[in-house]
Amino acid sequence: MEAVDWENSLGVSSDTEEYLQDTKYEDDEELHFTSGIISKLQFRKDKSRAHWINEMGMAEVVENKGKLWRTMGVVRSGKVYYSIEETLFLMEIGALLLLDDNGTSLSLNDIYAKVTGGSWELFEVYRHLKSLGYIVGRHGIAWSIKGTKSNCQSVSLQCSPQSSEVVNLESEDESSIVGSFNNMHINEARPVFDVYLPDSKFRKSSPGDPSFVICLTRGDLPSIADIEVLERQCGAIPLRFCHVEYGRVSFFSFNEEELPILP
Amino acid sequence: MEPRWKGKGFKAKALAEPMSKIVSQLQSSLIQSDAHGLLTGCTVLIAVKPEQTDLLDRACFGQRIVTAEKDNEWFQLGLEEAFYLCFSLKCLKVVGDDKCPKNDVELWQCMISQKPNFPDFYKAYSHLRVKNWVVKSGLNYGVDFVAYRHHPSLVHSEYAVLVLSEGEDEGNGRLRLWSDIHCTTRVSGSVVKTLLVLRITNNGNDVASPSCLEKYTVVERTIRRWHPEQCREDNMIGENRTKQQEALGKASLKTKFTQKHDVKLKPGLVGIERGLSLVSISLVFALISFIVSRWFWSN
Repeated sequence: MEAVDWENSLGVSSDTEEYLQDTKYEDDEELHFTSGIISKLQFRKDKSRAHWINEMGMAEVVENKGKLWRTMGVVRSGKVYYSIEETLFLMEIGALLLLDDNGTSLSLNDIYAKVTGGSWELFEVYRHLKSLGYIVGRHGIAWSIKGTKSNCQSVSLQCSPQSSEVVNLESEDESSIVGSFNNMHINEARPVFDVYLPDSKFRKSSPGDPSFVICLTRGDLPSIADIEVLERQCGAIPLRFCHVEYGRVSFFSFNEEELPILP
Repeated sequence: MEPRWKGKGFKAKALAEPMSKIVSQLQSSLIQSDAHGLLTGCTVLIAVKPEQTDLLDRACFGQRIVTAEKDNEWFQLGLEEAFYLCFSLKCLKVVGDDKCPKNDVELWQCMISQKPNFPDFYKAYSHLRVKNWVVKSGLNYGVDFVAYRHHPSLVHSEYAVLVLSEGEDEGNGRLRLWSDIHCTTRVSGSVVKTLLVLRITNNGNDVASPSCLEKYTVVERTIRRWHPEQCREDNMIGENRTKQQEALGKASLKTKFTQKHDVKLKPGLVGIERGLSLVSISLVFALISFIVSRWFWSN
């Protein structure tokens, strides 16, 4: 099941494999994600471990292995939380052992069952970009609270005994993204991911501005009026509109331009 | 996408003969000869003198009709082309069945009766023509127009143009589905053109007279397929940023090196210093091992 999905998603990029071979990689792990052949899925002896928290719809990291965590998960009150798409991605490539409340490990089947409604398409977009080495985060969600405006607030809350409650409050905010995606009107376009170019020097504490914002629609393509609204929302960061159908992920840019006046 | 000139030196040739100049030559020539066109269906037929044939050719208006007539050359103009010459350049008069020249409003209404979405198409056509782009039919590429930087004999068309009407009604139904986008970008891409969408908004104006065109707004948008597998390097976004990062990277490497080895960096000397220290260390080792072995054997 998972193998088939994996192949499908990479079938899209098969015509560009030649290009991929030419690029240089600093990170070994990236190479494995991009090579696009099932047999090249890296064998992982040491898996990271995380604890699935149903109420949050996120996984709290217990132990991190490898280098993937540097560009995945949000940091809140000193703990790292993986969103559902991050959890799924790591489980699909066999880099994560997911435990439930009782400490028993969850299977891929269990976590697939947690993907509801439109979030499967969301995950497909995530996986597509992630397997090409991009750094992908939820749009508008800070990688870490440190360094953001709410700095003093989070520090003070960190010291309080109910720090877990703080996390819950914040994550409600985050899970509402997926929730609201499910409730999205047909034909509504919405910014979903902030995408950074592959960068071995990426820091969650100072991620900088994303290179692109990915917008996803359900159903038909966005109208130009929708696009204009989204452009105003996202400021100067270029938008990419994503379309997912039958496991194929394609992106388009709809840039406003002005043709020059010729002599 | 860079303009694709069809031959060596064609770019210079185009620069030496700007399209604006050719068009204004055509304009004054047609005014001088008091040119008249005949509206038949969706075309306007015009008989011109040989020198005007050349100008029409070079300015890319219409298509020549081969006839046995000796004094005149016949041209057939599309509706947008004819209206541009009449209304914008004021160098052509069009007569209908009644043999009377039509005024702007009459001609405008005639055009609309032939082609209901004529106002938007004309706005799109004139929008590009005013900027001195050469605009021809894009039917071969499944779009409304194609836009050339100069004469099609010199350069390939750069843009495949779609006219997107957005008025009070539902518009003209272009690019409604994702498959439309896939289809159009695929075709445009395969013929090395960028898909340009001209979104025409009539802002609720009545189309009774061509004066409403002034109040129309045009927004240009290019639609491109984005291939994430080809854009992972920074230079796809901006070369400057890459250079900055490279410079930063080099700087950080330098500082790391100085910290690690506690070496004062003087350009050119660093290598020599390192080499010397390596040689001296190895010499000391050789000496020690020599002494030790001598002592060992003497025992």
